[in-house]
Parts: sequence; structure tokens; C-alpha cells
Amino acid sequence: MSVAITGTSPRAALDRLLGRPRVLVAADQPVVRMRDVGKVYPNGRAALREVNLVIPEGDFVFLVGPSGAGKSTIMKLLIRDEKPTHGTVVVDGLDLARLPRRRVPLMRRRIGIIFQDFKLLPTKSVRENVAFALEVTGAPRRQIRPAVDRVLSIVGLTGQADQLPSQLSGGEQQRTAIARALVHDPRVIIADEPTGNLDPLISWEIIQLLLRINELGVTVVMATHDSEVVTALRRRVVALEEGQIVRDEVGGAYYRAD
Amino acid sequence: MIRFVLFSVRRGWQGFWRNAFMSVAATATMTLMLILLAGFWIIQSGLLAGLQFVEQKVEVVADLTDDASLAEVGRLRASLDLMPQVAGVNYVSRDEALGRFRAQLQEQGETDLTAFLDSNPLRASLEVRLTDPEDYRAVIERLRAEPLVTTVKDVGNLVERVLTVTNMLRSAGAVVLAIVAVIVLFIIINSIRLAVLARADEIEIMRLVGASDAFIRWPFVFEGALIGVLGAAITLGLLGLAADPIRLVLYDFFRVLPLQIGSLTRDLVVLVVGAGVGLGVVGSWVSVRTYLIR
Repeated sequence: MSVAITGTSPRAALDRLLGRPRVLVAADQPVVRMRDVGKVYPNGRAALREVNLVIPEGDFVFLVGPSGAGKSTIMKLLIRDEKPTHGTVVVDGLDLARLPRRRVPLMRRRIGIIFQDFKLLPTKSVRENVAFALEVTGAPRRQIRPAVDRVLSIVGLTGQADQLPSQLSGGEQQRTAIARALVHDPRVIIADEPTGNLDPLISWEIIQLLLRINELGVTVVMATHDSEVVTALRRRVVALEEGQIVRDEVGGAYYRAD
Repeated sequence: MIRFVLFSVRRGWQGFWRNAFMSVAATATMTLMLILLAGFWIIQSGLLAGLQFVEQKVEVVADLTDDASLAEVGRLRASLDLMPQVAGVNYVSRDEALGRFRAQLQEQGETDLTAFLDSNPLRASLEVRLTDPEDYRAVIERLRAEPLVTTVKDVGNLVERVLTVTNMLRSAGAVVLAIVAVIVLFIIINSIRLAVLARADEIEIMRLVGASDAFIRWPFVFEGALIGVLGAAITLGLLGLAADPIRLVLYDFFRVLPLQIGSLTRDLVVLVVGAGVGLGVVGSWVSVRTYLIR
């Protein structure tokens, strides 16, 4: 095994590699650790400079800042859609810059990803969309069915399981995406503007759902523009400006409290 | 492994039907292109058979001395037959030669002057057909060394001219077929690329939820193969319906030519199915790859 597993006990690492349910979580090990991360895109634009960020297990972090501040770049680095130009990005014990390309799918199965535009397959029902995330891992059917039912009940979509995404409201579509992100039991959920396409009331529903999932022990990293939500919840806020972290505050508001 | 293959085949099948419009469009393109390819290939086969026929018309003719006995001529024939350059030897007796001459005159509408002859002035000859007209020199030299032979017609000039024309036509045919093949290749791969492009979102989602490259790729590859098989089946079906008229034209046109319909059909099936499935698979593989590399 060439995977870099830092810090976790051998037992937990083995469990995760074999896809066994995680019994024991190394709580002292941060889920995300970015050290001196810089990202320069091929067009020469420096999107991130000297970013240091540690997110411990069970945290709920808002990533805020104006457009172009680097939020999306951090999201892309965390899901290994981009590689850092320098520095290290470690997610769930894996050094993403050094992770071989063919191991990227395995790494993606250990995190849950949620997008602004839901990214559901339009020809598949809610149940199939969620099951899909397990099918790609080669999980046997008898395991898929109960796992899908479980996450659908968590997000409250048991009744809509056989509908197509086009028959659902925006909020229901996002809840389907959350169910899909949850189904392989991730340690961390990366959410990029999950409420960006939703009206305020539905946004609150989605946030409540993410908070509940966080209470189940899943770390949540959420990039957002929604100042009302961020300010009301008083969680950890990481603010970015021009590719640098300008504020990292537990119990913070969207805007700097002067 | 077997489970993965079955799973991929099933998902390829689903992908084909769930995106029926793009699949039908790709299959239609595949069919048209395969018909184009098959058509040009049939023409090329006819051309090659025709050229071969023309080349076989080139003969080395050796006149024989009048006192050559039949037994001696028979020995000479047998020894010529043993030469690898010789495809066949035909003996024309003096009487036959005279008969041919008369028939020729009659055909041209000339008066038959041979009636005024009191003896046959023509010589008996051997007509030597060549396996490859390029080898005419060796045969001519062999014949010249023979005491039974008086003169050997120098066919060198004729051979060179015939070969220039046939080789040119052969190259032209090959070039046209190659160009058609390249066009077919690009159009088929592009139509499959379009079908895959329509599902770029699906591929992206698969990648995001952690599908391996193989998991994403193989259903598309099987789908491409399915498009190829369907396209080839439709093409062969249409060609089968048109087989009788085609055969009639071919026989009519190449009646005397050494064209073998049996092996032509077999080669055609191999070509159409091979090109269809091959291009379907390669097209899918290449198209999906665009979305996998990161």
C-alpha cells in the first residue's frame, strides 16, 4: 500500500482501506490540514498564497469571502480536483498532492461532496442517484439497499425515493445530493455553496440538515456567501481575501466584528 | 472480473437505451459510413480483379520451327510449365493460327485473301501466360535459347505500358480507399465523441462520487461496440438485400474476370463488422479518455 496514512492507528487505516465501518475515530487527528499552500493556475493567476488551515474532527467550518478570494480553489484542492502548486493538503490522512491519480477515486469515496448545482443524474431516480455512489465502489446489492434507505431517512426523502430529480424541488434535490454524499459514511463533507441556488427558507432547511449531520460526528466544510446564516450560527468562520486567510475565528460572524 | 464485465455490459446497454436519440444518431452515422466503406471496397475489389485480368492477357508468344514434332513441342511445354513465372502454356497449331487469322479478317470486314494461298504460311506457336507480367524477360530468354523456337515476339514495350497503367490504377484505387477509410474513421469517432459529450455531466458526477476510470470507461466502450455491431448488422442486412442486383452488375461487368463472390462476401463481412466494432470501441475509448485525464 502506497497510500500515505498519517497518524491514524493501523487498525483504523485498515478498516478504511477495506471499506469496513469505522468503529473508532482518531479524534486527535485533524480531518483537514493545509500547510503553506499556494496555488498558481496555468494562466499565471495566483489563487492562493500561504494558506494554513487545520480542521479537527467534528468541526463545522464556514469558508467565506468575496468571489475570486480563493474559496472555490480551496474546495477543489480538498476534493483533489486541483493539485496545490506548493505546500501540502492532507485530507482524512491522505496527502493529496502526492496521491497517485489512480487512487483518487478511492480518496473521493472517503469524503462527501455537495455542490451548488446538485450534480444529480437526471435519468436516475433519487434512490438510484444515491445508490450510484455505492455501486461505483463495487459494493454488493444487499449492502446498498439498506444503506440507501438509511441515508434517505436521515435527509427525509423516503417518500420521494422513486422520483426523478426533475420532479423534485430545489431543496429536495439538494437533500438527495446530501444523501449521496453521506451514503459511504464519510468522515468529512465538503460543500461548495450548497444553498447558492435556494431561497432563504429552503437554505435554512439545508443548513439544519448539515448541522444534524455534523452532530452525528461528520466534519463539515462549507463555502458560502450567505451572510445571514453564517452570522446567525456563530460557528467557526474562515475568511479569505485575495487568496489569503485574513480571519479564522471560532463563533464568528460573516463580517469582521469591529 | 466476470462480474465487472457483466456489470459494464449491462450499464452499456442501459446507457444506449437511456440516451436513445444520441445512440440512434451514432448508429445511423456508423451505418452510413460502413456502407460507404463497403461500397468503395467492392469497387476496389472489382478494380483489382479487372487489372489482374488485363495483366494476365499479356502473353509471350514464341513461333516454332515448322519441323518441330508434336512430341518435342510437348516436352517444351512441360518444361515451361515447371517455370514459376509461367501460369500456363497454350499450343496453337498452324491450322489453328490460320483459322484465327481468317476469323480476324472476317471480323474486320476484309476480304479473305487466304483463299488464294496454296499452302499455310503461318507458323505454329506457343502462347505462354505469365503469373506476373513483370517476369517476362526470364521467360523470353528461356524461349530464345530453345532450338525449336524461331522467333519470340518482344512484348517488353507492351508489358511496360500495361504495367504502368495498371499500377497507376491500383495505386489510385488504394489511395481513394485509404482516403475514404480515414474519412469514415473521423466521422465515426466524432459521432461517438458527440454521444459521449452529451453525457459529460454524467462522467463528471461518476468521478466525483469516486468511480474508478475502468468503472466509467468500460460501459462506454461496450456501448461503442454495441453501436458498431448494430451499424454493421444493418449495413450487412442492406447489402444482403442489394446483393442480387450487385452480383448481377458484377457478373455483367466482370463476367470473364476472376472475381470470387464467395471470398468477396466473407472479406466484406469481416471488414464491416471489424470496422464497426473496432471504430466503436476506439471512438468510445478515446472520447471518454478526454474526460478522465486530469
